[in-house]
Amino acid sequence: MKAQIVIVAQHTSGQVDPVTYEVIACAQELGRKQNFASIVVVLGKKTRGLAQEIADTCGLEIIGIENEALEMYNAEAYRAALGEALMQLHPAYIVLPHTSMGYDLAAPLSIDLKAACITSVEAILTTDHAVSFQRSLFSGKIIAQIVPCKTPAVLTIQPGAWRAEKEKVTHTVEICITQMHLKPTSTKTICMKPSEHEGLDLNQADVIIAAGKGIGNEENLSLIFELAKIFPNSAVGSSRTVCDQGWLGYQHQIGSTGKTVAPKLYVAVGISGAIQHITGMKDSQVIVAINKDPNASIFSVAEYCIVEDLEAFIPALLDEYRQLKSGQK
Amino acid sequence: MKILVCVKQISDTDDIVRIDASRAWIEYHEKTSFRMNRYDEYALEEALRIREKYPETSIDAISLGPARAVSTIRKALEMGADNGIHLLAEQNSFISPSEIATLIATVAKPKGYSLILAGVMAEDDMFCQTGQLVAAMLGLPCATSVIYQERFENGKTLYVEREIEGGQRECLHIDLPAVLTIQSGINRPRYPSLSNVLRARKQEILRLNIKDLRQPEPCECLACLSYPQTQLKGEFIQGSLENKARTLLRVLHQKALL
Ligand SMILES: Cc1cc2nc3c(=O)[nH]c(=O)nc-3n(C[C@H](O)[C@H](O)[C@H](O)COP(=O)(O)OP(=O)(O)OC[C@H]3O[C@@H](n4cnc5c(N)ncnc54)[C@H](O)[C@@H]3O)c2cc1C
Repeated sequence: MKAQIVIVAQHTSGQVDPVTYEVIACAQELGRKQNFASIVVVLGKKTRGLAQEIADTCGLEIIGIENEALEMYNAEAYRAALGEALMQLHPAYIVLPHTSMGYDLAAPLSIDLKAACITSVEAILTTDHAVSFQRSLFSGKIIAQIVPCKTPAVLTIQPGAWRAEKEKVTHTVEICITQMHLKPTSTKTICMKPSEHEGLDLNQADVIIAAGKGIGNEENLSLIFELAKIFPNSAVGSSRTVCDQGWLGYQHQIGSTGKTVAPKLYVAVGISGAIQHITGMKDSQVIVAINKDPNASIFSVAEYCIVEDLEAFIPALLDEYRQLKSGQK
Repeated sequence: MKILVCVKQISDTDDIVRIDASRAWIEYHEKTSFRMNRYDEYALEEALRIREKYPETSIDAISLGPARAVSTIRKALEMGADNGIHLLAEQNSFISPSEIATLIATVAKPKGYSLILAGVMAEDDMFCQTGQLVAAMLGLPCATSVIYQERFENGKTLYVEREIEGGQRECLHIDLPAVLTIQSGINRPRYPSLSNVLRARKQEILRLNIKDLRQPEPCECLACLSYPQTQLKGEFIQGSLENKARTLLRVLHQKALL
């Protein structure tokens, strides 16, 4: 098998993670632009089922690498196995998702392969002689174009930046499964366990009022709760920063390391719109954002954008609401 | 045990960020306020807590940046770090993670740290690479996005929990020396004590000009910066405060959300 682009699949408990298909879509775009072929590498204890699923969904050639030590993600084992496979494949690009697996693995792989490393890529730009990769800085307020100065280049792909393309696969796809010998790792993955953040079912709510660091202090949470009260079946959510400050428990956190929600209405109050937050709420039906910074990234996903200081705006909103209510009586 | 904590100075995230005339990097102005990257604050606090448990520990804080980065190293000393190391980069320009990591690894190598801590990412350039690169360059094991860590009795191994997606944690044993990149929420960073503030004021900070260190070879370069062309999905509601409030209530009502 020969391919210039190697995609590293991500999977958990026997299921291919959807983000893998986003990475594949990115690789396909890169392949079309540079006339490169792609191949998917799946690592695990058993990879046949995973490989077949990916093959049936995208029609790319697959390499399965198997070893007991690859049963759960382990940086050392993954790095050793991939390193060996990549030495033989000699790709120009290695693409991974920008997830806790991808960013854990990308930088060390780049050292092993003497490669460039560009993380959280959101778009590919090509000119006659160069390919550059677009990524965000400053929570999305600035866009940078980064050019690898070395081949190969290891890329991690920002989840949500590409849409998974599912094609009807009609041709038979080559799947090659190998057992790889690996040295025992010194770092041992013991188990997975859930973070203890249960107790609040944000997914049942029709309306979520989410507080960000912009609320400034814990006392201002009362504004958020008051606002939530005017909506039927509502709940209070938050950015991670609010939980880190101890203003709310982690059961309220929305985003890539918190909950994913899609209520009828999502009101983001004092939230900047970091990609890790947006990942968890972008599929909400209606998004309202209240932020004093007109350049805040949250506005790019909101349907109704309000540039105001929340300490003034929310009381005004509550006032207007009360007037409206009393007028109706 | 000797611990190194990597601390980066960043501009305050609420500030307006401007691209310089050559589109090569960010232009800061007199009013820009700078502070320690939040994730690095958690990393430093974790080091301080290790020292509280194992008093023989010493903590160095290292920062690569222009002259102003000294204030962030000073902040680390105020929080309780024992020594500060400043890798001076004279210009305010983009330096790639691989270059930064090479320079930190060069300085760290002869010091024989048992543990190197960094934030999981920098809030400004959001690369998520420096800690991992330093580890790989020094041949050390690394765990990223660490939300819990504890040393075993033997003093040689750490029990570590990494925060991964979907509300899960990955639990592992990792041998020292090692590198950990720290996720926010692992602890509650302290405010500096008065005695540490006074001590930090007088303390010397070791300064090394990066020009005098081994020159790293860049692996990636920054072609240019631009502002996002925000394709607004929606609209900015205009008018006075009251008008905006009224309009919002009206549209929410029309959509049967209120
Ligand atoms: C691996 C990893 C995983 C992460 N997972 C998550 C996650 O699951 N969920 C998550 O949310 N984050 C997550 N983060 C953190 C994320 O990158 C951001 O740091 C975080 O979302 C920022 O929270 P914020 O918007 O509340 O704060 P900030 O970014 O500080 O934004 C505050 C906003 O409030 C506005 N503001 C300030 N004062 C006012 C005022 N008076 N009125 C109106 N507006 C005001 C400011 O303009 C600013 O836009 C993760 C980060 C990492 C590295």
